[in-house]
Amino acid sequence: MDLEEMQLVWSKMDQELENQKKITNKIILKMTQERYANKFRKIAIYESLGAFVCFVAGLYLLLNFYKLDVWYLIACGVLSILYLFVMPFLVLRPLYSIKNIKIDKNSFSETLRIFLNSKKQLLLVQRIGVFTNIMAVLFILPTFGKILKNKDFFTQLDGVTFYLSIAFVFVLMTVVSKWGYKCYKNISNAAENILKEIDDVDPEA
Amino acid sequence: MTKEDKFIAIIQENQRLIFKVTTIYTNNNVDQQDLYQDIVYQLWKSYDSFRNESKRSTWMYRVALNTALTRIKSNKKNPKGITIDKVVLQQTEHYDPQFEERLKLLYEQIQQLNVLEKGIMLLLLEGKKYDEIAEIVGISVTNVGTRVSRIKKKLKNNIQNK
Repeated sequence: MDLEEMQLVWSKMDQELENQKKITNKIILKMTQERYANKFRKIAIYESLGAFVCFVAGLYLLLNFYKLDVWYLIACGVLSILYLFVMPFLVLRPLYSIKNIKIDKNSFSETLRIFLNSKKQLLLVQRIGVFTNIMAVLFILPTFGKILKNKDFFTQLDGVTFYLSIAFVFVLMTVVSKWGYKCYKNISNAAENILKEIDDVDPEA
Repeated sequence: MTKEDKFIAIIQENQRLIFKVTTIYTNNNVDQQDLYQDIVYQLWKSYDSFRNESKRSTWMYRVALNTALTRIKSNKKNPKGITIDKVVLQQTEHYDPQFEERLKLLYEQIQQLNVLEKGIMLLLLEGKKYDEIAEIVGISVTNVGTRVSRIKKKLKNNIQNK
């Protein structure tokens, strides 16, 4: 089917659509209200709530940081605070850059560029997140264990439980990160190709 | 005529435009309806800022295409390829199996294109001139021409590979 033939089919479909029942004014008015399921907004709300929880937890750690008295617990505490403040910021940034696209002003290629870059960034953060979320268990548990229960995770757990939990975390990390990397690679390659095409087509854009 | 009345009239008049954008960028009926509502909502939101500086159709295509692009959806939840039966044909009144087959072929061809090419293809099928496509897509007129010839080549290759 060549382009001319496609245009003919398209125009016939257009005529068919003309004959269809038109949607009512009432339905159109409903659509203009915020009652539809905006998937992006939902994600942004959940991520913002998650960020708020992380921020509160990070603040709590900062206020109780003095309770960490051994060097390795202090190190865990610093990593936990960094994790709780930095990760949500990294996740929210690309989400909000998509959300703030001027849908009526930006051209299609500008939107595509912002969207693909943000998507790539978001996927990269998620990929990093796969590692850090699992690693976080290793430094957040000891930190909160010490602050809340005054227990040293590293010295007070018996050897078997300690090594089993470490082994479990690393097996899980390998499986999930492999899967995450594959997804990231596929999607980001596709995004990269389209971005290259935009630049290739319009170098001055 | 109130602002709402004017807006409703515009949507009524341009239903087919929105519908066609949704058929290009979704794979199933539910997604299509979602996108349709999303586009109408975005048009309503930007209605005040639209001051006839550009053509109405340019504004509508721009909002519709940008909305389609910025929707986040998981591709895994949806089957690959368009389910034409759900998207277009059930909604047509005059059932014509031959036309159905050609329409299916048309959508299969469009699905082979990437997201940017799909947008250009849609505007091309809508009979838009290169300068209007350039304005909506945000590339120069010459480059619309380059892109169109690449699309043609891609379509030709797809047919030969079948």
